[in-house]
Amino acid sequence: MKKMLSVLLIAALCLSVVAGCGKTNGENQDVTVDSEDESASGNTAQEVQEPTNIIIWYETQEAIAQELQKELDKLAPEIIVSVERKDKLTEALKLVGNDPSSAPDMYFFAHDKIGIYAEMGILSPITNFIPASTFDDFIPMTVDAATYKEQIYQLPIYFESLLFMYNKELMQEVPTTTDELLLYMEANTIDGNYGFVEQHSTAYFSVGWIHAYDGFIINDKAQPGLDRQETKDAIKYHKQFVNYMPIDGDYNTMTTLFKEGRAHSTIGGPWLIPDLVENGIDIGIAPMPIVNATSKAISPFAGIQGICVLKEAENKKEAVTKVLEQLSKPDIGINLAKTIGSAPVNNKCYDDDAVKNNEIVMTLKEASATAVPMPNVPEMDVMWAITENLLSSVNKGDKDPVIASDEAQKKALEQIEAMK
Amino acid sequence: MKKRGYKKFIPYIYSLPGLIFIGLMIVFPILYTGYISLTNMNVYHWFDFHIIGFQNYKKALFVLDTGFLAAFGRTIVWTAVNMMLQMIIAFLIASLLNVEGLKLKGVYKTILMFPWAMPGYISILLWRMGMFNTEFGLLNNWLNRLGFSDVHWLNSDHIAFGSSVVVNLWLALPFMIMIIDGALQSIDKTYYESATIEGAGYFVQVRQITLPLLKPIIAPAVIITMFTTFKQFDIIYLLTQQQGSKTGADIHTVITYTYEKAFVTNNYGYSSAISIIIFMILIIFSLAIRGGKKGGDVDE
Repeated sequence: MKKMLSVLLIAALCLSVVAGCGKTNGENQDVTVDSEDESASGNTAQEVQEPTNIIIWYETQEAIAQELQKELDKLAPEIIVSVERKDKLTEALKLVGNDPSSAPDMYFFAHDKIGIYAEMGILSPITNFIPASTFDDFIPMTVDAATYKEQIYQLPIYFESLLFMYNKELMQEVPTTTDELLLYMEANTIDGNYGFVEQHSTAYFSVGWIHAYDGFIINDKAQPGLDRQETKDAIKYHKQFVNYMPIDGDYNTMTTLFKEGRAHSTIGGPWLIPDLVENGIDIGIAPMPIVNATSKAISPFAGIQGICVLKEAENKKEAVTKVLEQLSKPDIGINLAKTIGSAPVNNKCYDDDAVKNNEIVMTLKEASATAVPMPNVPEMDVMWAITENLLSSVNKGDKDPVIASDEAQKKALEQIEAMK
Repeated sequence: MKKRGYKKFIPYIYSLPGLIFIGLMIVFPILYTGYISLTNMNVYHWFDFHIIGFQNYKKALFVLDTGFLAAFGRTIVWTAVNMMLQMIIAFLIASLLNVEGLKLKGVYKTILMFPWAMPGYISILLWRMGMFNTEFGLLNNWLNRLGFSDVHWLNSDHIAFGSSVVVNLWLALPFMIMIIDGALQSIDKTYYESATIEGAGYFVQVRQITLPLLKPIIAPAVIITMFTTFKQFDIIYLLTQQQGSKTGADIHTVITYTYEKAFVTNNYGYSSAISIIIFMILIIFSLAIRGGKKGGDVDE
């Protein structure tokens, strides 16, 4: 009896494991079968057509996904779009990119992954669906960001960049140049209070300073620029500022200092603002300080968020085209600006009053003239760690900037070789 | 006659489900990694890769010479230092726990088990933010009150190494203490009594009775801990190498070095080759230790 019972229990356990896997496969297959039927029958008579299902993955704020869903619900009932959250979206796409039963039709993400996915062969150029003239009214920098090897892979929707934020109660006069900022920091950094804080040793934040000197981390020909004289000058100059900031320079310390009113100013993204307002900080936004040596403002990276289309969705061409056309209208840009304060890429959106009166959006729009989009080449992936090692060793480890930059450039070239 | 033949196979039938499970979960990924290491799977050949033989291994062994060998040496030092300290400190604490007439033994043991019960990831981040932070951490706070200036716990190589050892001890000692504690309790008290009658002091008793009787019991635990320490990734990575908050110290061990150099390149063929190389090193280690141990038993 005991033997029988244990055998039965084991069998039940195994069956439940298999059953769990079985269901999800079945669901996915249903969806693909639907759309295959649709594209097959679409060419024939226009009778009772089954709606086309389009799946869009995202990993960003819920508010943005809701706006996208609202905008694309206008296409129902012929096209049913479901905007689904997918955690670890970038890794998931690498795994299932060419698997029609598990991959989405489109995804919403920043532009910097375009190069990798294009090389992997899982993206379809946007111009296969909509004409290039759609982009005539877009801010040119954003279309450059969406272009890799002369093909446009992304429909940009909004862009974000870093802002110079300050606490209006603590800082009365905002420094306009970096030398003034340094003097302000010298005068105001005592007893655990800081005049200015930033994540000084991360690539994303320091690149603003490097760009102000006309240096770069990697260009669009995938050539690293860490040993250029301009980059070295920027890093040398920037080190003076690190002496007046907490040496760790990590996200948590810096944002907490600013949130608690112990830092007068910071450089951060617009995503911080709701949290700061909740903490009762009277936030002011100012243009980036100008570097005295080069007369250029600190120009951080810009991230352009938009929609990309996977290759497998080419068999749903009409539906995808309609979705893209809907999202290239100014509506989604205006709605997102109103909900989350993001800067739309479509110039037509800036005719809207609500957008014109949003201080953050207009500051970002002005910054777009000088902001540099994150490089979208696959080789950028290895540059983050190398640049950060370079900055950490100079800022926190007191290494000589010239030696460290030369070594970092060598490592970068080795890593890029290792990618092949 | 048939029955006897059938009975021979019963143990295998019973272990079959377990073996299949281990096969799928452990053996198959290793074999697949070995397969990928012979191909050219990378960003430029993501789905259309083909076998290219041992080129990845050549690249791994000859290009990674300087950084890899330094990391490998550091990993050996890391394992040796940690194991020595762990065994000594755990033995001391376990001996203290087993002193005659100690009250509240249960309370002490519970408190000592606490680091082991907390999720490692969180503990390490708390150490980094709460204890080692230069401006706001507890350690520097104490030092300042005693009149000393701030110490940069994680920015220079040697001090960062020391800090990582401290965190590793904090996380790993509970396990060792538990094992040694159990082992100490299993030693027959009569040995100590006869030794005391014959005039042996404390240290002589430890050397001649406790340690030899302890060795066979704690040997498996020591081997497990040695391997876990060798491939310890979390501590070094979270304390000093986390993307977005590196601290400027270069105390890479073999596995963090591999992560930063290989996995980041998305060159899976290359990374798989390095993983297989590390795997081989660990297998050789394990065989060497087993061989040494067997030799010891035979001698005794």
